[in-house]
Amino acid sequence: MNRLLLLLITSSATLLVFGLWIPLKAVVAQELLEIAWAESQARQTESRPWPWADTWPVAKLSIPDLGDSMIVLAGTHGESLAFGPGQMMGSQDPQDAVIIAGHRDTHFRPLKYLEPGNELRLQSRDGRWQSYRVHETRIVDSRSEFIDPRQLSADTLLLVTCYPFDSMDPGGPLRYVVEARVQQTDTVAGL
Amino acid sequence: MQLKDLAMMFSSLSSQFGVSSYRHSPPFHGAGVPSGTRCEYFPVRSAPPSMAPHGFGRDSSPMGRPCARRKLRVKHFMEGVSLWLVVLLMLFVQPLYAEASTGREDSAGVLHFVNAKGQWQEPALVLGSDFDVRVTGLIADSRLVRTFRNTSDQWREGVFVFPLPETASVYGLTMKVGERTIVGEVQPREEAKKTYEKARDSGRHAATVEQQRPNLFTTRVANIPPGARVSVELNYQQLVDYQDGIFELSVPTTLMPRYMPGEPLATSPQQWKGGWAVPTTDVPDADSISPFTVGVANVAADSHRASLRFTIDAGLPLAQVSSPSHDLATELDGAVVTVQPQAGKIVMNRDFVLRWQPLAGQEPGAAVFQQRWRGEDYLLAMVVPGRAGKTRLPRELTFVIDTSGSMAGESIRQAKEALQMGLETLAPGDRFNVIQFNSQPHALFVQPETATANNLARARHYVSRLQADGGTEMAPALSLAFQSQKRGADEQLEDAAPRVRQVVFMTDGAVGNELALFSQIRRQLGDQRLFTVAIGSAPNRHFMREAARWGRGSYTSVQDLSDISGPLARLFAAMEAPVLTDIKVHWPGQSASVQEDSFPQRPGDLFQGEPLLQVVRGVPAAGELSVSGRLPGGGKWQRSLDLQQAASGTGLHRYWAREKIDSLLDEARIQAQEADKAQITRLAIEHSLMSPYTSFVAVDATPARDLESALLKDDLPTLLPAGSQPGMARYPQTATVAPLLVALGLLGLMLSFAIALLQRRSYP
Repeated sequence: MNRLLLLLITSSATLLVFGLWIPLKAVVAQELLEIAWAESQARQTESRPWPWADTWPVAKLSIPDLGDSMIVLAGTHGESLAFGPGQMMGSQDPQDAVIIAGHRDTHFRPLKYLEPGNELRLQSRDGRWQSYRVHETRIVDSRSEFIDPRQLSADTLLLVTCYPFDSMDPGGPLRYVVEARVQQTDTVAGL
Repeated sequence: MQLKDLAMMFSSLSSQFGVSSYRHSPPFHGAGVPSGTRCEYFPVRSAPPSMAPHGFGRDSSPMGRPCARRKLRVKHFMEGVSLWLVVLLMLFVQPLYAEASTGREDSAGVLHFVNAKGQWQEPALVLGSDFDVRVTGLIADSRLVRTFRNTSDQWREGVFVFPLPETASVYGLTMKVGERTIVGEVQPREEAKKTYEKARDSGRHAATVEQQRPNLFTTRVANIPPGARVSVELNYQQLVDYQDGIFELSVPTTLMPRYMPGEPLATSPQQWKGGWAVPTTDVPDADSISPFTVGVANVAADSHRASLRFTIDAGLPLAQVSSPSHDLATELDGAVVTVQPQAGKIVMNRDFVLRWQPLAGQEPGAAVFQQRWRGEDYLLAMVVPGRAGKTRLPRELTFVIDTSGSMAGESIRQAKEALQMGLETLAPGDRFNVIQFNSQPHALFVQPETATANNLARARHYVSRLQADGGTEMAPALSLAFQSQKRGADEQLEDAAPRVRQVVFMTDGAVGNELALFSQIRRQLGDQRLFTVAIGSAPNRHFMREAARWGRGSYTSVQDLSDISGPLARLFAAMEAPVLTDIKVHWPGQSASVQEDSFPQRPGDLFQGEPLLQVVRGVPAAGELSVSGRLPGGGKWQRSLDLQQAASGTGLHRYWAREKIDSLLDEARIQAQEADKAQITRLAIEHSLMSPYTSFVAVDATPARDLESALLKDDLPTLLPAGSQPGMARYPQTATVAPLLVALGLLGLMLSFAIALLQRRSYP
């Protein structure tokens, strides 16, 4: 009985550690990404945050209303989303709508506090800040809806995360989509 | 599923422990035991040695009693708290798994290749296609066998939206289940649908084919047994394209996802049927013409493969058989050529195009075929006017290029290349303009400019920078093209020389609102001509051909970058050359009914190298057919054909019926009326043809599926055309297992704690 109990305690503790490791990794990675972001801005190249990374920072997203900012990575595959929100790399055209997906348990948890009218800022590698305003938030069913980048206007920023926010099911079909539109013309950082 | 199981496990665990705790400590929980007596009784029975580290025991001094009692109280408290926490956690987990399981039932069976979690699943049905095409003279007769193999252990209904050649007349449907063959029959569309649904619901084998667009069909196969296969054979015939001495036949295998303009109609996602698009104001049937498009990797390795076999009996010695789309394995047997793709089975993500060319100097200039069917004579005549001199007129050329998202990838490169070639054909006296369109049109010049070196350089630069993105709003682009020419026309008053005004339209035709566009072309055309260039590996050929016909121009299709120069050179040559207009066809036996029954009734203008095709009913193969027209200079052109030399052909009556149905539909379109549904239905049933109002249905007599077992529907996806970029993206997976792990970890720890406490009490 004692052994069983010990087994239960160990396995639960392991689960807990693994569970806590994910948000911890997400927080720590952002610090490393800050460095990589600064470097890629300085050199104007893709610089990988660590040598074996299969992603690199492409933008910095800031939510002034919530006092939050994070580095956005390239690609929305699981490996990049573990470290930061990822930008969907459909076409490399800068004229395209920007689609960023993030984990609802880590980086994109604050999305639930966003309301229409809130400001979002996105910094590209050349240092320009683009300002967006939240236009609407909606919930979509990923089983029946797709993202059609052709239907989106070029001045759109889409933030995608899982829904509902308190759910424990990691594979749920619902997605929370924040749609923001360009608010004003570019301003150079620091000016 | 996982979560639910875990929750169940924990609840059963907790109930077990709950029971055991009752069993092991009856005095504690036992009814009727006064709470006051508990303290006296309790330590005697279950105070564990570890909880009495100071050696307090049964015989310990009275001094120690209050201390032990306090400890016990603490323990009791902790026990209660932890148990309550477990209960609370259970309450917390319960709604979660309940929530996770909702919405699973409503979509069951609707869409199998996306599972309840929004992740891709391979369809359970494996699709095979087998084309057997026999070409005799000008008519190609095809037998297409689609095999649906059910790899699951449930009964399935397969739904597949597929393209056929835009000039195809479908005339037969046969279903094969095991050893049995069930021949289908043509029925009015609504009736066929009811017949099929009744058979499906009663568990019988059934198949139906419906026409959504002239080149887009839906096949449904009901009650495919688990592990078994059902094949559906479709017979269709089409006319072979003949231009500039080259015969061409294309076998479409897939379709480009089409853009659906207009506002979405108010339909909830629940009503969403089988396609990715929702019905819009402009395309009310958008959902039935938008099958899911997936990459080759997303279907089973042996699914969506086609085998093809062509038998060409051209009746002429052939110089060359080639294909711009696939490598060929050609076999010559006397005058009959057998062609197969070299690779064996081909992946259905690219149209198969076959061209054959007679020996130089032996190109047919005229041909007549005749057939007697049910006591009626049918004649098909082809005349090629040949070269009609060359008087070049100054032109005004507008290039319209589609830069919508569906053109992304290989297509836009082809289109840009084609446009650059078009710019090269401009002579110094010509005027030109370039218009690109996606969600909105944009013109290079405000009005057509003279083709000076400077302007051409600007145009080249503009074209090289084009990128494919956005929607496919064709209507405003066409308006702009036609208007921009009109504005040019006002200026021409000063210009003495009349200009030939032409619009070259380069697109993949991936739109759902074809009909509206045709009527717009008809309204706005004026004296201009519209030439269409079909781009990509699976263009909407029906749209391209019809748009050119309504635009009094011609249609060219480009297969890939390496194939671009040949067809385009011919197109631009034809555009430069003068046109034969005012064509009149005179069949022998000048009765009104004969003239009424010859199609096309008003032959369009002919460009260089283009043949004139006429089909007629009720004319025996005797006498002479005379064709006359007017040359650009005003001269008269005439040709006569001896009908007695007619070779016997097959399927002419179907071609005639299809032409008649098309002309009835055209008339209705011109008058903006509803077509004569009864007449078309009658005609189609008489000739056993598929039409917008008639469908094929085949039903087995005996039920196969007992109604206890469920029937699941599988909407088969089509393959994304080769070289194009996927337009639609799936929502990514954006949740981690962190909360679940944390919750489970906490739950487990809590549980261990509770067990530890109970254990100590139970086994001192």
